[in-house]
Amino acid sequence: MDERLLEILEDINPEVDFESCTTLIDDHLLDSLSIISLVAEIEEEFDITIPTVEIIPENFNSAEKLWEMITRLSEED
Amino acid sequence: MFSIATYFSVEALLLLLVTVALYVCLPQKARRYVLLISSYVFFFSISGKLLVFLLFSTLSVHHIGLWLSDVQNECSIRTKGLEREERKALNAEYNKKQRKIMAFACILHIGLLLLLKYTPFFSQNINALFGLLGLQLRIPVPKFLIPIGISFYTLQAVAYLFDVYRKKIPADRNLLRLALFMSFFPQIMEGPICRYSDTAEALYEAPKMHYGNFVLGSQRMLFGLMKKLVIADRLNLLIQNVYGEPNKYDGFVIALGAVGYTFQLYADFSGTMDLVIGTAQMFGIKLPENFKRPFFSATISEFWKRWHITLGTWFKDYIFFPVSMSKPMKKLTTKARKKLGNRYGPLIAGSVSLFCVWFCNGLWHGAGWNYIFFGMYHFVLILSGNIIEPVVIKITQKLKINRSAFPYRCVQIVRTFILVCFGEMFFRQESLKQGFKMFGKIFTDFTFKTLKDGLLFEFGMDRQDYLIIIVSAVLLFIIGILQEKGIEIRASIAKRNIAVQFAVYYALILFIVVFGAYGAGYVPLDPIYAGF
Repeated sequence: MDERLLEILEDINPEVDFESCTTLIDDHLLDSLSIISLVAEIEEEFDITIPTVEIIPENFNSAEKLWEMITRLSEED
Repeated sequence: MFSIATYFSVEALLLLLVTVALYVCLPQKARRYVLLISSYVFFFSISGKLLVFLLFSTLSVHHIGLWLSDVQNECSIRTKGLEREERKALNAEYNKKQRKIMAFACILHIGLLLLLKYTPFFSQNINALFGLLGLQLRIPVPKFLIPIGISFYTLQAVAYLFDVYRKKIPADRNLLRLALFMSFFPQIMEGPICRYSDTAEALYEAPKMHYGNFVLGSQRMLFGLMKKLVIADRLNLLIQNVYGEPNKYDGFVIALGAVGYTFQLYADFSGTMDLVIGTAQMFGIKLPENFKRPFFSATISEFWKRWHITLGTWFKDYIFFPVSMSKPMKKLTTKARKKLGNRYGPLIAGSVSLFCVWFCNGLWHGAGWNYIFFGMYHFVLILSGNIIEPVVIKITQKLKINRSAFPYRCVQIVRTFILVCFGEMFFRQESLKQGFKMFGKIFTDFTFKTLKDGLLFEFGMDRQDYLIIIVSAVLLFIIGILQEKGIEIRASIAKRNIAVQFAVYYALILFIVVFGAYGAGYVPLDPIYAGF
């Protein structure tokens, strides 16, 4: 897992264990405003563009899934 | 002529029975045609020649979807093997082309909806403005006939096109499949608002009807019928009187009317959804849920994740995120986050998006200031909830209140319910001025004298009516608690032996027949959401 991503996530919600949680969206641990913040931070940090179509629970439910999306988008870009 | 007034009519039942009979008898390939023909018969029997609007929308959605697909294919062929920079430049060129197509599609579909539904409202307000400015100028106020379900199928059409544009789904070359997705008769009038990826394939496949699905679907339809006939229709006399002449009543009756209307709206809309989803289930088709026990919500934000779910997710996917993820909003979020921190930073872009969502949500419900106010009311509640949340957390921590404890959640649930009732009161009262008067009366003229002077029984409702409503409310509450605990009531009834199953069905049918509000002395309620 990328440390920079974990830092961004922990900065947004320090109360969640992002390394193990796989229900970030399903359990409302990341709300719409957190997602807005998260997307802006990820785009800046990893120099990618996250299109709206990628904003689905499957991509945001865990740090691992987020990292998979970031890697995929970096390769596509 | 064969005409259908609502889902809850003999004609609609007749059409359903004929459709089921043909569906069972005919082979798989013919079944999809049965569904399509029944859907068009249903639409035509309600809206007559206005069927042409549905046909136009279906054909244009089909054509624009293919147009987008052609542009995307051309782009991928031309960018193959190119260097990164060249590929990026060409992609940008094709994206621009696609955006133009989408703008055209939105003007066509949303524009048609705006024209038919909102022109009279806008014209009246422009004339009122002219009057205020002392101008003699007046523009004509046209009146259009509106095809049934246009607010629902237009959102489905736009969602389909956006999903093709975002490459979430491929454009469908099969006009029949797309036509069925747009017109499926159980859901055309009041939703749920379906996504192409959820229902189109299943509808086209027209699966074989199974006894299990037939039983579960019928159970759900019966339950919906109970909500509509026993609760929503029975409350109609009270609601009509209170909202028709609110000046006659004191704060207690107005508050009763506000709670009563919220309950009526829930019984009517969720009852219709039970009927719709149950009908689809009979055919083996799973439609998305529209309600998830909304009155157990702790916050307004949670309430809207449980009430009219498919509309909420539509606004989230096609308005909230596109607005907040637009380039200027992203820049704003990054800047604001650095200055204001994690909590309040994204709130600026979020509140702009939230405003757009709730303005559209209010207006979607109808062309009236009461609906716009309704939208703005929820915008303010949700936004202020987000702003004050850190303060509430600090206060509860200092007071050593456990926020996840049952009593605290109960207080939140009651508070949310009261706020929802106020919102629905403005929603129901066409005149905003009267709405405010009613709101004021609850606080300035609240007495219990109506309970003694018998005024409550002057609406054509007697003690028995109130008792039936209270018993039904308790019944729904118990069912809601069981469902919240994850107990699947219908499935567990269906697992029992046949005698127990039929005893439950007969009890429910008997309950509807005996306690349903129909016949002389009752005014049936037109399905509320069909009017939107």
